[in-house]
Amino acid sequence: MLELDLVAKRFANGHLAVAAASLVVRESELVAIVGGSGCGKSTLLRLIAGLERPSAGQVRLAGRPIEGPSPEIGIVFQEPRLMPWLSVADNVRFGLAARPRIEADKAVREVLRRVGLEDFAKAWPRELSGGMAQRVAIARALVTRPKALLLDEPFSALDAFTRLDLQDHLIALWNHDRPTMVLVTHDIDEAIALGDRVLVMGGRPGRIYRELSIAAPRPRDRTAPAFVQAKRAILDDLRLARRPAAEPADGYAI
Amino acid sequence: MSQAELLLSESGPGPRRAAGFALLGERLWRPASALLLPLAGAIGWEAGAEQGLIDAHLLPPPSQLLATFAALLAKGEAVQHIAATGQRVALGFFFGMAAGTVLGATTGYFDLARRLLDPSVQALRSVPPLAWVPLFILWFGIFETSKVMLIAVGVFFPVYLNLAGAMHGVDRKLVEVGRVHGLSHARIIRRVLLPAALPGYLIGLRSGLGLGWMFVVAAEFMGASEGLGFLLVDGQMMGRPTTILVAIVLFAVIGKSTDFAVAIVSARLLRWQDAFKPSGSA
Repeated sequence: MLELDLVAKRFANGHLAVAAASLVVRESELVAIVGGSGCGKSTLLRLIAGLERPSAGQVRLAGRPIEGPSPEIGIVFQEPRLMPWLSVADNVRFGLAARPRIEADKAVREVLRRVGLEDFAKAWPRELSGGMAQRVAIARALVTRPKALLLDEPFSALDAFTRLDLQDHLIALWNHDRPTMVLVTHDIDEAIALGDRVLVMGGRPGRIYRELSIAAPRPRDRTAPAFVQAKRAILDDLRLARRPAAEPADGYAI
Repeated sequence: MSQAELLLSESGPGPRRAAGFALLGERLWRPASALLLPLAGAIGWEAGAEQGLIDAHLLPPPSQLLATFAALLAKGEAVQHIAATGQRVALGFFFGMAAGTVLGATTGYFDLARRLLDPSVQALRSVPPLAWVPLFILWFGIFETSKVMLIAVGVFFPVYLNLAGAMHGVDRKLVEVGRVHGLSHARIIRRVLLPAALPGYLIGLRSGLGLGWMFVVAAEFMGASEGLGFLLVDGQMMGRPTTILVAIVLFAVIGKSTDFAVAIVSARLLRWQDAFKPSGSA
């Protein structure tokens, strides 16, 4: 279980990026966070990852407070962020430096097979397409078998077809280990298609404006009336949430 | 086996061997193309001297240079001079590189070190290196130590500047990946910063080596009994332009060879780079 307890982040320049955010993500739950740019959704993710320390409040994973980056939490960024001087396999192995060589090799082969890149183990990052590079980044985050996987707009730089493909792929990967997953995105379709819950964030200061539970089984039909209805509701929320410090509404479900 | 594969296998090893020869030709042609210009120049020069268009006393033709070089080789002097100069450059390069690497990595990673050290290093950089010569002679005498020191000073600055600069230019996002995976400061330096800074560092080493060859001449002008710089001075004193030109050509050939060696090692180390390749390159 991942808990955020009244977490706030004020940067050194005085900017309040996140104000008193509370959230409980159940084990193996997939939570999508949507919000306009600058609403503090990336900061929230970095707080969970331990890359930023909260100014107030606490983030806990399985009851233990998060003090800094840990192998129990994997993160995938908007860009693949592969080390260009390492082969695909060595990039995936980057997270396993402490493991014995044979064990690490086995884990790397296994995860590369799962992301469908076993034939590219020896390739350089420059030889990969954008979608392939992002799959390597996902493999690098998953190879340590983290309890939680955080994704910060992971598919936003990809074309529409690749994005759909990777969204399906992500669900398949998640089904394997069922890590707790938090996906930050500005693609509303992506949030509704993937999330067990969708959180709408409002900005200035960043806060969780509303949440929406989605019970429909995956894969979800993006043209179904319920899907379109959820999308309309979120769009309305996003418009309202743009107004600074609006009253948060109660949760609702479809 | 498909139709196409059958066709290919029927044609046997012939075309493949031809392709192999073409590749070999390509491999030889690339470096050989660099020799075209000097060779053409040498032939023109020789012909000009033959025709009396060039004064062979002031600008002796290549045939005379070769004869002089052969004589130096026969007496064992050529090897002696080249070895003396080469050893000075090697030692100076080693010490300059070591100091530039340690100091560059320190100011590149630690902000406090940068604020304390970098301004002073930059100030020293604006001192013309030859200004150190009198001091080095007073401190270390006129023998090897002062020569090696002068070369080391010349090598130090490009290595230092390029390494520190390259480390500052490393993508913050890659460093963050190191942090996400729980790497210590030392591990982040070794596994992220140094490899990422390698292209800049290698450029520093290459220009450092070039400066090493410049400075060895200045060092040998300070007074030496052997070395290519000594040949230059000796040629001037004795009024032998042939000796001077032989030394100049040797500098060009040896300097270019060492640079080529570093370039080959660099290309091997940087084969992961997604860099611009000039049009027409393989």
